Amino acid sequence: SPALKFEVLARCSTTKARASRMHLPHYTAHTPMFMPVGTMGSIKGITTTQLEALDCHVILGNTYHLGSQPGPELLEAAGGLHRFMAWNRGLLTDSGGFQMVSLLKLAKITEDGVEFENPYDGRAMMLTPEMSIGVQNAIGADIMMQLDDVVSSLTTGPRVEEAMWRSVRWLDRSIKAHRRPTEQNLFPIVQGGLDPRLRTLSAQELVKRDAPGYAIGGLSGGEAKGSFWRMVTLSTDILPTNKPRYCMGVGYAEDLVVCSALGVDMYDCVFPTRTARFGNALVRTGSLSLRQGRFRDDARPIDPDCPCSTCKTYSRAYLHTTVAKETTGCHLVTVHNIAFQMRLMRDIRAAIVADRFPQFVRGFMQTRFGRTVPRWIVEALRSVGIDLTVPDEAGYSATPIEDDCQKAPAT
Amino acid sequence: MTAARFEVVSGGGDGARRGVLTLERTGARVETPAFMGYTRHGLHPHLVPDVAAEVGGLPAVTRVQAEDFLGGGRWLGGGGGVRALAGLAAGGVVVLDVLDPTVAGRAGRAGAKAMAIEAAGGTVRLGPGDFAALAAALQPDVVVPPADYVAEALPSLERGKRIEKSVERSARWLDEYLAQARHPAAVLAPVMGAHSAALRERSARALGARRGLLGYAFNDGGLALPLERRLDLARQSLAHLDGGGLRYMAGAAAPDAALRAVLAGMDLVDSSYAYAVTEQGFASTYALACDSPAARLDLWHESMRADFRPLAAGCACFACARHHRAYIHHLLATREMLATVLLQAHNLHVYARFFADVRRSLAAGTLPADAARFAAHYGPDAFDELRLLAAQQATATPTTKVQRRRHTSGPGDIRDHPPSKTTAPTAEPKPKSSATTTTSAGGGGDSRSGGD
Ligand SMILES: [Zn+2]
Ligand SMILES: [Zn+2]
Repeated sequence: SPALKFEVLARCSTTKARASRMHLPHYTAHTPMFMPVGTMGSIKGITTTQLEALDCHVILGNTYHLGSQPGPELLEAAGGLHRFMAWNRGLLTDSGGFQMVSLLKLAKITEDGVEFENPYDGRAMMLTPEMSIGVQNAIGADIMMQLDDVVSSLTTGPRVEEAMWRSVRWLDRSIKAHRRPTEQNLFPIVQGGLDPRLRTLSAQELVKRDAPGYAIGGLSGGEAKGSFWRMVTLSTDILPTNKPRYCMGVGYAEDLVVCSALGVDMYDCVFPTRTARFGNALVRTGSLSLRQGRFRDDARPIDPDCPCSTCKTYSRAYLHTTVAKETTGCHLVTVHNIAFQMRLMRDIRAAIVADRFPQFVRGFMQTRFGRTVPRWIVEALRSVGIDLTVPDEAGYSATPIEDDCQKAPAT
Repeated sequence: MTAARFEVVSGGGDGARRGVLTLERTGARVETPAFMGYTRHGLHPHLVPDVAAEVGGLPAVTRVQAEDFLGGGRWLGGGGGVRALAGLAAGGVVVLDVLDPTVAGRAGRAGAKAMAIEAAGGTVRLGPGDFAALAAALQPDVVVPPADYVAEALPSLERGKRIEKSVERSARWLDEYLAQARHPAAVLAPVMGAHSAALRERSARALGARRGLLGYAFNDGGLALPLERRLDLARQSLAHLDGGGLRYMAGAAAPDAALRAVLAGMDLVDSSYAYAVTEQGFASTYALACDSPAARLDLWHESMRADFRPLAAGCACFACARHHRAYIHHLLATREMLATVLLQAHNLHVYARFFADVRRSLAAGTLPADAARFAAHYGPDAFDELRLLAAQQATATPTTKVQRRRHTSGPGDIRDHPPSKTTAPTAEPKPKSSATTTTSAGGGGDSRSGGD
């Protein structure tokens, strides 16, 4: 594609992980990468200068929100979102459809598009694939997402297949409506719920369109993690190896590590920035709820090994006091959480390049979970050649547990 | 007793003067008139240190207030003081005062032994011994010890012996603080006496006879008198004080007020004004040169929607170098916290430039004329943001420092996004996944590009 060149630098010799360079019109991103979410054209309280210093390569904007405010006309007048918000690196926008369906309870899907009630005057309005692309062309992000027919990952029955095929038809309409193919990339979205047959069909159909990259959608919606990883790995098996793969809505550290082993290159999630505003700081062992009384006199930084400016300067005790009282305190934790995500992704990339990714994964899981690791992780990793139940040279092994996540609080 | 020194360079008496504050230990050198950086918990409001460092031109004096560190337990005593705790620059001068200057009604009814501070979670008593302990932990270079500030209406004052008691108590507290001080900070002694000429003289004579004070603090804000009246009271005191002492006036942070205070012989104010401007969603546009028609720009105003100019023409601040009015209007309208970050960076920059101009004008001997022109050009109500902020805080719970917005979003424009909350959230939506401390399964519904 003229607007995207994907260059695989290294492949893990055990898993499906790879480290790549993704050349976008505004920036060359290193993958696997995490993209912080800046819904309204800003990452909560963080300047674009800080984002650059934090090593963010691509950030997200939300088409539904930006289409409402400031609106496509103003964004076009400003010269696109890059210039509107003064961000010169990569941008990705979603289609707006997901917000319609999740924010507006009365949304109705027809073949035309998503019909919804205007929250102000109650009038019926419509978001079509063409309109979504129109707004996204005005925003001007390096990567745009097709409007898809989103069903909850918990939905079963014929609705899932209907949505999958409709998403394919909407993709074709989106491709046709796309006015700036040499400046912006349009990513299709693999759908099909938790049904392997439908996922396979969806991925095969999308591959025929020879898109610059592909997203895996309809997951991270509260489904069992055992289904989640199977749908991810099934999708990456079908999607072309020479194009980027983006797993939407994934941002927990263990998910990033597992999905990278399954061959995913891009992630986004509101979790790290949102949880920061509630005073939760991410660490490799989990997260620290800084508002808790146990941090009142804790003179340690959030993470002594973290290179971020917050960890270099502030104690947990200081953050405990300020985070509930000052927006600046929230900003300090947000800075750390973004730094945490970026550092994790750097470590993943470095491990892949050094072909030490399996060792990295084992070390990561040992730190995060100790001797008991959620079964879905054990199984997902075993499927790509890492068996946590077998002791490694250092003697580490783990037994699977049924919980999807970690039990013990981090310290 | 201390390694802080103040020298009057020119001027003096009760007229404007130039001076230099130096701190041996850090090598800090501050030319006055100047302002102290107003902080909350040691941070410039809205600005993490990396961003504050971009503001540029800030004086090397930071003001922290004891009330932000009350109830602070063992964690305060890490050894590095407030510089280490709050990430302040190693150089510079740190001043520890007691009360937040932006919040009215913070001083409650004092007892014989301690101030009463209306803090979150109830009244906290702060006596000279408590303050000495706090100073030992925070290690400021300069302190303004507790005093029995009078905050009562005139009639009740005249009936009782309230003012006399406040003068006596404050003098005693100062002695007690000095006797108990374990950390060698220079002292700005509160000048008391409210509006009683006789008692002001008594307080000032006592202080003027003391040796070793760095200077004086004038904090008569609780009297709710107009600035001109408060400056008259200060002049009464100045006649009996050591003219070489550094003078800090609380409640004179607005540019017009600061000019009058400087002309009355004050050396220091604080930057709480810039913060108050930011809280209104305004960008400062005033300058001592009066080269702008208005003192401020309302970024909430609909006319900002498609205005791609910087906040102020020719402004070299971090925000103006990168962003335009339309973006900041958008950030305000969508309740994005970056709005106040960028506005604060700009407003602090403008404030710093204003003080640089004041010092230049004073050196050139043109300050009285420039100040008169400034007052006439912008008018009497151009700098009322601190009053607005105090009024807004008065309508909220008095102890929570919540951010209040003067404006609400415009009515039913169909383009408007449904309004969302602006203040720091108090509870996080629980993820659906089975209860654990560290969530792992998907968040509520779907975290996919969920909007943040
Ligand atoms: Zn950190
Ligand atoms: Zn500016």
